Amino acid sequence: MTSRSPLLARLDSPRVLGYLLITPAAIILLGLLAYPLLLGIWLSLTSATIGNPGAFVGLQNYATIFADPTFRGAAFFSVFYTVCAEVGKLVLGLALALLLNQRFGGYRISRALMLLPWVAPTVLSALAWLWLLDPQYSALSWVLVQLHLIHGNVDFLGSGWGARFSVIVVNIWRGLPYFAIGYLAGLQSISKDLYEAAAIDGANAWQAFRRITWPLLLPITTILVAFSSIFTLTDFQLIWTITHGGPTDATQVFTTLAYQRAISGGQLGEGAAIAVSPIVFMVVLAVFVVRSVREK
Amino acid sequence: MTHPDRRRFLQLSAAGAGAAAMTGLPALGAAAESPVFKPEPGAKIELLRWTAFVPSDQTIWDENTKKFTAATGVPVTIQSLSWNDMGPKAALAAQVGSGPDIIMGWNDDPFVYPEKLVDMTDVVDNLGRAHGGWYDNARSYCYDQDVKRWVSLPVGCTGNALNYRKSWVKEAGFNEFPKDLDGMLKLARGLKKNGHPPGFALGHAVGDANSWTHWILWAFGGKQANPDNSIAINSSETVNALDYARALSETFIDGVAGWDDSSNNKAFAGGKIGLTMNGISIWYNGKKDTPDIFPDFANVTPPMGPVKTHTISNNFTSAFIFKYSKYPNASKEYLRFMLDKPQADRWVTEMKGYVTPALKAYAELPIWTSDPNITPYRDALASAKYDGFNGKPGKAAAQALDEFVIVDMFADVCVNKMSAKDAAKKAEAKLQTIYKRA
Amino acid sequence: MRRNLRIYVPLVAFLAFLLLPFWWMLLTAFKSNRELLNTPNPFWIFHPTFAHVTDLLTQTAFPQWFANTLFVSVASTVLSVFVSYITAYAIIRLRFPGSEIVSTAIFLAYIVPPAILFIPVASIIIQLHWFDKLWALVPVYATFLVPFCTWLLIGFLKNIPRELEEAARVDGASNLTILWRIIFPIAVPGLISAAIFSFTLSWNEYLYALVFMTSSSNKTVSVGMTSELIRGDVFQWGQLMAGALIGVLPAVLVYFFFVEYYVAGLSGSVKE
Repeated sequence: MTSRSPLLARLDSPRVLGYLLITPAAIILLGLLAYPLLLGIWLSLTSATIGNPGAFVGLQNYATIFADPTFRGAAFFSVFYTVCAEVGKLVLGLALALLLNQRFGGYRISRALMLLPWVAPTVLSALAWLWLLDPQYSALSWVLVQLHLIHGNVDFLGSGWGARFSVIVVNIWRGLPYFAIGYLAGLQSISKDLYEAAAIDGANAWQAFRRITWPLLLPITTILVAFSSIFTLTDFQLIWTITHGGPTDATQVFTTLAYQRAISGGQLGEGAAIAVSPIVFMVVLAVFVVRSVREK
Repeated sequence: MTHPDRRRFLQLSAAGAGAAAMTGLPALGAAAESPVFKPEPGAKIELLRWTAFVPSDQTIWDENTKKFTAATGVPVTIQSLSWNDMGPKAALAAQVGSGPDIIMGWNDDPFVYPEKLVDMTDVVDNLGRAHGGWYDNARSYCYDQDVKRWVSLPVGCTGNALNYRKSWVKEAGFNEFPKDLDGMLKLARGLKKNGHPPGFALGHAVGDANSWTHWILWAFGGKQANPDNSIAINSSETVNALDYARALSETFIDGVAGWDDSSNNKAFAGGKIGLTMNGISIWYNGKKDTPDIFPDFANVTPPMGPVKTHTISNNFTSAFIFKYSKYPNASKEYLRFMLDKPQADRWVTEMKGYVTPALKAYAELPIWTSDPNITPYRDALASAKYDGFNGKPGKAAAQALDEFVIVDMFADVCVNKMSAKDAAKKAEAKLQTIYKRA
Repeated sequence: MRRNLRIYVPLVAFLAFLLLPFWWMLLTAFKSNRELLNTPNPFWIFHPTFAHVTDLLTQTAFPQWFANTLFVSVASTVLSVFVSYITAYAIIRLRFPGSEIVSTAIFLAYIVPPAILFIPVASIIIQLHWFDKLWALVPVYATFLVPFCTWLLIGFLKNIPRELEEAARVDGASNLTILWRIIFPIAVPGLISAAIFSFTLSWNEYLYALVFMTSSSNKTVSVGMTSELIRGDVFQWGQLMAGALIGVLPAVLVYFFFVEYYVAGLSGSVKE
């Protein structure tokens, strides 16, 4: 394998081959993602409605939505929802990973079973949750009533904050496996020697966790949280199915409000502005993550 | 009114003023199946409709469609989607200029993109003349006042009525259902006292929350807008409606603020509530799923408030044709055919009351009186108002409906304990933003 | 004994929380409607029925939807993993100019959600005459699969020692050969974990499948079930839950067999 044609050699250079290899991704992402993305941003700068391109209006849509109390409420809850859900998923996911990292009888099947919430289509598992959160039919309420811990059924979804915490819990339920399995991988890459050395030094379990485990898990934590946050911040189907943004807009988030305005109401420009508005936050997040991943 | 001979009407209408709008008139005395609107050569139609609520609807519709194809040679493909999922599809079709020829949509859909839709005046006239005319409500949902033409063909509505348990209403001290709202409030209190409370949705339930809140609002004379589209919600009538609703909501079962469209069905079938408002599905499901308590189910036209007329809110369905369609005439003929007596008689009957037709002649069908519990649904359209009443149906009303402005106003009072005046003011501000932008 | 308590008590608690909805799905799939709506004990089935399952399988097009979803999920997985691998390789191993920008850009791919993005994407799909073609979902799904998989594989490939490549180059191997013959086999755990992620997300996707497909024969499981089993306000709960469970099976099988690889794949990508 010593002689190659000059053409092949050229093709094989890092530069040329590099560009060649990223071409398929580039086509897919540029054509089906970047173009619509830019189009979406463009829409947010126009007064477009369904079927009518409208006119360029600059940042007027953004001015309108920032003055709209419903939007401000949705912005607040989007952030609140994301922060609570991410913290919940992180803490519980890590706890579960620590648990599953130990070899106990049935650990393999446990690892597979615990993935179910993440694996099931949201549109269907949300329907199951509707029953579990139902004011008349909840099996959860039934259990609590049977145990004499409460008198009447719990009204999970009938109040603003009740509904908010309910969707947060469902989001945690769905995303917990993703964090757990990610942390499981992270835990397995930590050398056992470190823990042995710590034990010799007399460190207890909590100290070992704080000094060894957590710092070594920071890289994967960053990645897990970054991607999960973006998915949660742009979550749609879960909230739409369970509360449809209600009661009285308490559970509106960016995407549900954007969808409502753009699709049902035909206000494409404004809907696009709502959907795009968290972009600054997300760009910052993206840059931060990419930087921290690189610095290794 | 007995249904006159169809051929005779074609002759009459051909001689009438609307003749210019019709194309391809059949030779007088021709066979009954010759089309009124001549399909384009090589036509084929794609229809997107909502999934039938009852399987026999689907069966008969498909059979009628086959008849149409046999008579005209025009093939028709039908796609069905859940009624809630039709929104994005219709929006997409309007936006990208491609998709089904005909869509059977809901409520204000046609008014969101009227310029994209074919003029339906000729079909409306043809069917109206042959079948006893249209209910007023049909015009409200299909005649766009901005572009000043019929942009959609009315089909009907999923009617709403009150559903109750006869024995429990009797137990609360009423031998027959109260005829006015004051009586109903007394009944509600009695039902609650006996442990069979009413239940009306206050969450973002697209059908069930909008139905009763609009009924109560209008029953007290409240309205969303004036004919010139100025906002009229902040009025003493609205405040009265809200105060009534608050009193009524105190009798409701827990959790209605989190109800979706299926919740009251479940609660009613499970014997948890004694009174609610719904389409006829709630009654039919009883026949199927809970036959032992089914004889105790009853339906009644919602009572009147101070305005002394019935003021029902329904979900209206109409069929619209997109201008991008290559076969508008074939599409028009298909719709005319399907809503014409030989086809629609069976279709309406087999829908068993799920859809109240917009053409008055079909109110004569025996299905409506086959059971007294079906009759209230027959009358749902006759006394119906339209969302956005009394303003112009259009983009703004569509938006206000989708944003649950009226529902949230009632929920603010009943759930969030806001004062009626504040809630009305808040709704006014929201509506002003929406109507200004539309 | 104490160890057992420390492990099994929290484990049962976690599994109870995670699996309760599936238990509910299982119960609902075999309960009659009557019992579902009125029962002294929701956790028990007094009169089990198979009607929901048989109706689902024989009276709806569920088998067709299942086949469609399987096809789309497998195809998008294969496409996405392939594209992500070569892209990740290019970015990490070949270090060509501009690779930093590309990797940042890939991350930004998630900013506008499908709930809005579907409209401009639809215009492109229609212009390409890809509308209502089931396979068109494959490149569309790649748009949200490739970014994450690329990241995942970047992290994984980064940890493969350069010595391997250097040795191969000394032997005269071209970059292309290294890509396929040397690195690829080592990257398999990472590829499998990317595949599992892709398969799951494809299987669960709803909005694009709803909007871009029109014929009933092209529906996926989620779309088919919600469009046929939800008629107005009447939900066929038994069939919906039965379908949800059957729908989850392929992913569960995949996970059960490959979960070790998935974990290894992720751990490979985050090693220091």
